[in-house]
Amino acid sequence: MSTVEQDPYATAEDLVARSAAAYAASVPEDPADEGFFGPGSVAWRVSRDLSSPVAGLRALLLQALHPLAMAGVDQHSDWRRDPVGRLAATSAYLATINFAERAVAERAAARVRRIHERVTGVDTVTGRRYAAGDPALLLWVHSTLVESGIVAAGLFGTPLSAADSDRYVAEMVVAAELVGVPPGQVPASAAELDRYLSSVRPELRCTAAAQESMAYLLDPPGLDEDIAEIWQFIRNAAVASLPPWARGRYGYPEPEPLTDSRRAEFRQALGVLDTVFLGEPGVLEARQRIELRARAARRP
Amino acid sequence: MKRLACALTVGGLLAAAALLCRRLLRSGLAGGRAGATRLRVERGRAAVQLAVRGGVRYASSAPRLFASAGEHRQQLRTDLALQTAEDVASTLGAMKGVLMKIGQMASYVDDGLSPAVRRTLSRLQDSVPPMSAELAARVVTEELGQPPERVFGRWDPEPIAAASIGQVHRAITRDGRAVAVKVQYPGIAETIAADLQNVALLRRMLKITAPSQDVDALIAELRDRVLEELDYRREASNQQTIAAHFAGHPTIQVPGIVSELSTRRVVTSELADGARFAELAGWSQQERDLAAETIYRFTFRSLYGAHLFNGDPHPGNYLFHGGGRVTFLDFGLVKCFSLAELQPLIDMVRYLCVDEDPEGFRAAMVRAGFLLPDAPVSTDTVVEHMAVFYDTVRRPGRLQITGDYASAVVRRFFDVRSPLARYVSVPRSYVILQRINLGLFAVLGELTATADWRAIAEEIWPFVQGRPATPMGEAEAAWRASRGDPEPLPA
Repeated sequence: MSTVEQDPYATAEDLVARSAAAYAASVPEDPADEGFFGPGSVAWRVSRDLSSPVAGLRALLLQALHPLAMAGVDQHSDWRRDPVGRLAATSAYLATINFAERAVAERAAARVRRIHERVTGVDTVTGRRYAAGDPALLLWVHSTLVESGIVAAGLFGTPLSAADSDRYVAEMVVAAELVGVPPGQVPASAAELDRYLSSVRPELRCTAAAQESMAYLLDPPGLDEDIAEIWQFIRNAAVASLPPWARGRYGYPEPEPLTDSRRAEFRQALGVLDTVFLGEPGVLEARQRIELRARAARRP
Repeated sequence: MKRLACALTVGGLLAAAALLCRRLLRSGLAGGRAGATRLRVERGRAAVQLAVRGGVRYASSAPRLFASAGEHRQQLRTDLALQTAEDVASTLGAMKGVLMKIGQMASYVDDGLSPAVRRTLSRLQDSVPPMSAELAARVVTEELGQPPERVFGRWDPEPIAAASIGQVHRAITRDGRAVAVKVQYPGIAETIAADLQNVALLRRMLKITAPSQDVDALIAELRDRVLEELDYRREASNQQTIAAHFAGHPTIQVPGIVSELSTRRVVTSELADGARFAELAGWSQQERDLAAETIYRFTFRSLYGAHLFNGDPHPGNYLFHGGGRVTFLDFGLVKCFSLAELQPLIDMVRYLCVDEDPEGFRAAMVRAGFLLPDAPVSTDTVVEHMAVFYDTVRRPGRLQITGDYASAVVRRFFDVRSPLARYVSVPRSYVILQRINLGLFAVLGELTATADWRAIAEEIWPFVQGRPATPMGEAEAAWRASRGDPEPLPA
């Protein structure tokens, strides 16, 4: 399937356990400061929203449509050898940026920038050179994640008001800057974000690597049977939340309309997945740490 | 072959719930023998088979059960308290409240949940903080018309225990009675009802091979049972009935309900205190025997005398006071029998243990619906298979009930490989009685209790009405006489 001889993907059997461990370990015990966002931020609210697994999957589906971003992942990272580890690392990074004190978040971002420096090459599909540190690619990855957070919360979680959406986009600018997007280039309002996303659309295409990677994510092999069942709902929710043009690029069939009852069903599946996640060691304590900080901040 | 059979019974429901939890929460079945989990879907016997697996494991690992739902959250995180009904909805919505209820219902009968599932369910309970004092007060105000400080003479805003979907506060009524007030989380009933209305996910999770209308009926049954438990009025009325039945009993105590302070979401009962089940480990065997005798008398006096069975013989629901005095708590799940339902059961005991009439026993089993009328098995086989159930009462003499015995009883009854297994089933109205075996014997086994169970049973059996067999029996006879209950006939 792949354009380059590649190893087959490893199974995803530990997806929940490893993501949970990565998350729990990244929420600090006793941070020196409130980090880049803080308890009152919309960013905290979005990251804690029930819909966030759908947001993450939706973001990956969009990100993979950028051929250069996809090539970087496909050719360099541990993606094929250890896709679950790669996802867990991403989840750890996001939790760190959200909840860790600034110095720790900065160190994590510096580490990501260093790794990106080594990720360069030529995309075999477009023939174009790519570099993971290219601000254009970083911006695409950043923007899809931010937009997906808003869309998923709107459909399956606690929707953001227009004002909070703007605030969220503005808050998240710093996250893009941390990984190396120069100041001033990052969309700072929901309208700017939409304009930016539309402007990139002509470059997007579904390469074989994207098709293959996303097929893996939509139906991860080796998942425990019961998790696999839940995952189908998460997957369907993510695909249903994509803009029609993105589904079109992948050739995914049009999903059933998102009626209220269908959305409730997806919310239920998210709740069950969240319960499983909560059952993993350390997750409840990590959430309680965050909740206590949020409450302390609300106190007059 | 799908794993889940559709049995529209309480037991089937609970078994289904247990399986649902398993499936939802990715458990491996104990022992990991996938083959053993493949149950043939056959109406009737399916209920037995489903209960089997849970039952055996319940009894064999009973000690693990001995932590009540509330004890998981003994350390109430008031710093994380739920402050609004929205907090309740976001904490327990999206199926979490449903999973919690199902998990509790399943844990009563089925300890076969894998460690992973039990951990997940217990973490789920841990993840639900208590209500803030203000929120609890708001519920009381909505239910009783005035804030708790006005309704009660004194009100302790700090909860003393977590209930499954609520919490317990201490208070003193205006006329000076110390009471326990169970307050339900606001909006929880609506949240759970909404999740049980939208059944596509459940339906898929249940993955029943039975026709879809049966799945829907099963889910409807699940919804009814869960919603029933969410209405505290039912529990209050059960408790009131039982408290009245045992009023003045020398060793059985049931806290009275303060009806004028009990509603759908608030139930007020007399405050009881005493030693928890776990503490009995440090008590003398004599004390444990007495406690066991009281539990035994309570179970069968309820059944034969009041035609009621408390379906929740759960160690967390007893408080012990020494001298055999036991307080019985939590009447959320009580089954009332009609005499017509009870009679075949009474006949079974009578024919097997008193009249020693195997054919009569078999005929009673058929009348009860336990055994197919034309089952091609000999009556000897039937008796041999069923006798273990009655081992404690077939012959006079002191007998110790051990955990092994409790396991053996349950294992035998639910042995799907037995020659009888194909022809037995448990009719819907009796399913709850399985908990006598699943729960009562597990509790007595845990107490390693010794007594002349036959002699005690003879006191209680209406067709024998034996003389008091123990000092407690004497005291009970005096109590019954004082109430005008019929005197035991001379043996």
